[in-house]
Amino acid sequence: MDFDLQVKLAIYRHFADTGIRPYTANIAARVHATESSVREAYARLRTQRVIVLEPDGETIRMAPPFSGVPTQHVVESGGRSYFANCAWDALGIPAALHEPAIVRSRCEQSMEPFRLAIGPDGPERSDWWFHCAVPAARWWDDIVFT
Amino acid sequence: MLFFRSEERVREWCRAHDSPVRPLVPIDRLWGLATTWYATRLEPGSRRPKPDEMRAIFAGLGLTGDFWDPLADRF
Repeated sequence: MDFDLQVKLAIYRHFADTGIRPYTANIAARVHATESSVREAYARLRTQRVIVLEPDGETIRMAPPFSGVPTQHVVESGGRSYFANCAWDALGIPAALHEPAIVRSRCEQSMEPFRLAIGPDGPERSDWWFHCAVPAARWWDDIVFT
Repeated sequence: MLFFRSEERVREWCRAHDSPVRPLVPIDRLWGLATTWYATRLEPGSRRPKPDEMRAIFAGLGLTGDFWDPLADRF
């Protein structure tokens, strides 16, 4: 298997198993490689828009749908909590895990709490809305804002 | 990419942020986006969709127009 693919899968497995972002050392141990080679793979994965890094070049900010930092979008599944990058990713985490989940977030205008149960067949009925302010062609101009 | 309780709350938020109101997506359709985008994300064969594939995914969910076109140049 291609090294970058091993690193990518190790990042995602770490997020799925723990709910938090991995240290470079965690990934190096999972793929039996040096931290330096993992950092080099991170740079390539960032170029391919697979992950988003913090300015230090090695701390993972996003491995969509997972967020490396706390957000208002929290997913509870399998006894773990996960942070999602955005509303889309909040539903993306149960989709990626293929597990039932509770999505907790809020109305961004009224701050009313949002709770959505996701079952084996998808989400319960809801009359809430998803709104994206940025057109698809501009999403990666500033993916953290998007 | 945010959740809102109602269309009115979206309009209020957009006014407050001097941002145009974009197409609203109901939760069941957002689930369609989420599963299409992420259902294989933990698997070796997963990859980001290419722009033409993104168009097809959006169109399949009824999300059409320049806003959903990853190659649109009018923004």
